[in-house]
Amino acid sequence: MKNLHIPVEHATLANGLRVVVSPDRSAPVVTVGVYYQIGFRLEPRGRSGFAHLFEHMMFQGSENAGKMEHIRLINSSGGMLNGTTNYDITNYFESVPSNALERVLWLEADRMRALKVDDENLRNQRDVVKEEVRVNVMNQPYGGFPWLDLPPVAFRNWPNAHNFYGDFADLDAATLADVQTFFHTYYSPNNAVLLMVGDLDPAEGFALAKRHFENIPTHPLPPRADVTEPPQTEERRGEVVEKFGPLPAIAIGYTVPDRRNPDWYAASILDHALHGGRVGRIYRRLVLEKEIAVETDGGADIIETNGPTQMVTRIFHKPEFTTEETIAAFDEIIREIQEQGISEDELAPVKVKLRADYYSNLEGGMGAHMPRFGLMHYLACFTLFDGDPGRINTILEGFQAVTPAQVQAAARKYLVPSNRATLVRRPVAKEVAA
Amino acid sequence: MSGTTTKPMTTTTQAATTPQPSASPVPALGPERPVAWPKRAVRTLPNGMQVVLAELRTFPKISAQLFFRSGNASVAHSAPGLAELTATVVRTGTGARTSRQIEEDLRRMGADLGSHAGADSSAISISGLAEFSEGLFDLLGDLARNASFPTDEFERERGRKIEGLRIERTTPGFLASERFRRVIFGEHPYAIVSPSEEQMTAIEHPQLEEFYHRNYSPANALLIVVGDFSADAMFAQIEKVFGTWTALQPVALISAAPPHNTGRKIHLVHLPGSVQTQVLLGNLAITRRDPDWFRLVLANSIYGGAFHSRLVMNIREQKGYTYSPRSGLQSLRQHGYFSVHAAVRNEVAAATLTEIFYEMDRMRSLPVTGEELESARSYLTGVFSLGVATQDGLLGQLSTIYLDHLPEDHLETYRQKVHALTADDILFAARRHFDSANAQIVLVGDRAQIADQAALFGEVSEYDSQGNRQS
Repeated sequence: MKNLHIPVEHATLANGLRVVVSPDRSAPVVTVGVYYQIGFRLEPRGRSGFAHLFEHMMFQGSENAGKMEHIRLINSSGGMLNGTTNYDITNYFESVPSNALERVLWLEADRMRALKVDDENLRNQRDVVKEEVRVNVMNQPYGGFPWLDLPPVAFRNWPNAHNFYGDFADLDAATLADVQTFFHTYYSPNNAVLLMVGDLDPAEGFALAKRHFENIPTHPLPPRADVTEPPQTEERRGEVVEKFGPLPAIAIGYTVPDRRNPDWYAASILDHALHGGRVGRIYRRLVLEKEIAVETDGGADIIETNGPTQMVTRIFHKPEFTTEETIAAFDEIIREIQEQGISEDELAPVKVKLRADYYSNLEGGMGAHMPRFGLMHYLACFTLFDGDPGRINTILEGFQAVTPAQVQAAARKYLVPSNRATLVRRPVAKEVAA
Repeated sequence: MSGTTTKPMTTTTQAATTPQPSASPVPALGPERPVAWPKRAVRTLPNGMQVVLAELRTFPKISAQLFFRSGNASVAHSAPGLAELTATVVRTGTGARTSRQIEEDLRRMGADLGSHAGADSSAISISGLAEFSEGLFDLLGDLARNASFPTDEFERERGRKIEGLRIERTTPGFLASERFRRVIFGEHPYAIVSPSEEQMTAIEHPQLEEFYHRNYSPANALLIVVGDFSADAMFAQIEKVFGTWTALQPVALISAAPPHNTGRKIHLVHLPGSVQTQVLLGNLAITRRDPDWFRLVLANSIYGGAFHSRLVMNIREQKGYTYSPRSGLQSLRQHGYFSVHAAVRNEVAAATLTEIFYEMDRMRSLPVTGEELESARSYLTGVFSLGVATQDGLLGQLSTIYLDHLPEDHLETYRQKVHALTADDILFAARRHFDSANAQIVLVGDRAQIADQAALFGEVSEYDSQGNRQS
């Protein structure tokens, strides 16, 4: 096995902003990101959906770049841009020809320094976000399944259990004062990492970062919120109505060990043995062999989260099988791996596939127009959550070292009813097609 | 002045795309670094199979895609969906491997396999770790030459396709594109994007083998490989796997001309309970091989093809009607079309159409500003270089070039062709191909919410979500 070595350099500016550079001069393009350690888990109570609404506001204007100027300047430099809100991070990123690097840094620094938005901007983006929720959730078959409907069943602590996209009443209640408070609470250089990946000289990257970011003042950060869950002692279950889709669907989630737990690697290997496409145990049994399900998929976002996280299996099953029959067939798969474990013959290819997937994620990750987005994304997570961007080169070793006994032990410890939540999406009775 | 003033409905987006004076100056762009366009090695094997190789050693992986120039359009009138079902079942068995062995082999090589059919082609794609190159091509060759179509796999996959079709019929985006394609393509095979449940159910096992033997043939094949390898060694490997392959010649596609639609017409697909209206409108346009193509690409980029385009500024950033509106150009082998889509709240369906046509008519009436022209040219050329910097991106670009028979120097000359375009070129292309007066308008939503708004724009025909005409 030959693991790839990715060059990574990092530094911390006087104001606490971390800067990570990974050079690759093979194409004259660079991907830049600023990641803030704030996600929808930590949005203010009574303001569900606020972290995401706020992310939209970051495109509405800053001190020296008015509404749309940020977008216009990136596009007209030949680049693409976007932002996303996640559980524990919010990110803003651009891929551009490398001659636009300094312009991108200037724009990101400008909006880290001061947001300049007004009520009309807020009203406008509130409308846009509502249409985003409608098109992705309310007007789609299986919209939000299960990322929006499983957490309220699985978790008890509000940060983990609320509606991340936001109730419309909460979105309507958000004010410009909320926007500025949120900005001054979390959007501080010492709560962020700047990443530059691709065609640049690291020394030049650090010098530019210093020039544009180092004089941005910091705000005192609030104490880290408590996102821990009270101990779970019982199996949890919920049911919601599927308004459009014709098939019943089930999501089963098990809470995985925290990223600092030594079981983290084994639990991830377990995930890949169970899911992992058509060759995974769940798809093979439920779709190919027993033909109970029409489709299954799943997995856990373990690198991107820093708090309670579930490994979730989605099962879309034929209506002629009941929910209980389907869950029983799933349980049989879980029981087998708990009782019989996993052979070295199965484990070795799982590790090869995991390595290949890791490389694919590093190279792309956001469509074909954001080279090395995934590399940047993982570097950000390793920096903010683990304090170690160099983990990009060592994490595979952790996965390679997992033994069959550890996988079996993880299955016995974590795949238990008192660590699981089940959510059923049941289609409404349909009017007879006209 | 950051969009704070309230503007009347028909205000242009001009203000938002004009540079704002800044206290702190925007850094100028540095000198452009040349792009080293990836070298391609192109050969045709004696059996007619065309092979295109491009080394791109970003990560120790290889991506290959084997195309056959026959897709769903070739069977649209005899067995719609047959090409797609054939592609799906092709991965489930060969003379030497069971379905399970194929999946196990893939995992052992860190590989992913995909097999699908579009309108004009069918394709098997495989990507995996470069260290397993030989095994990857052995498997690809086995699937292309010796697929066995096991009966039980066929039955299961056909059943799964039927369930997939039922889900599609509850998806607004699918319902819109299905109706739109029927309207603009009429009797042409491109009119059919998906079979009905009955048509899928009617497909029989022998039809798959027949389609496979007729169309999965070297004379019909294009193999593109991108990644971490050396071209000479790769050719030797490909010759070993595919050199001895002989098969039938496919039959050329003969098809009816699409209709000449005159006057705006509304095609309303009733989706009960819909909380949004899916808008999709447009007209027949041109293919990539047309002399107007570059002009039209640039016009589309300024109109609605990019985040900073006029349409997005207007109906998203000024009016908040929608989250992700865009316009686009689709180039199929025989015909192309121009379309605009937006998912909007029900109350503003008519207002959205007004703005879409307003912006389209503005593109047809007035030249774009110098600043817009320069900005759009830079956008297209920059994004083009981003798009060839990853293995997947480069593979996509090469497939466009070689499937559409574009000039060999397409990568190298793209930027200069775009930079040579003028405001007059854009005006010309918009007048010719943004056919505002004859646009066909599809609305998917709840009839009770939008029927009155629809009627403001022309004659309305109504359909249910199964595709049946209601009125």
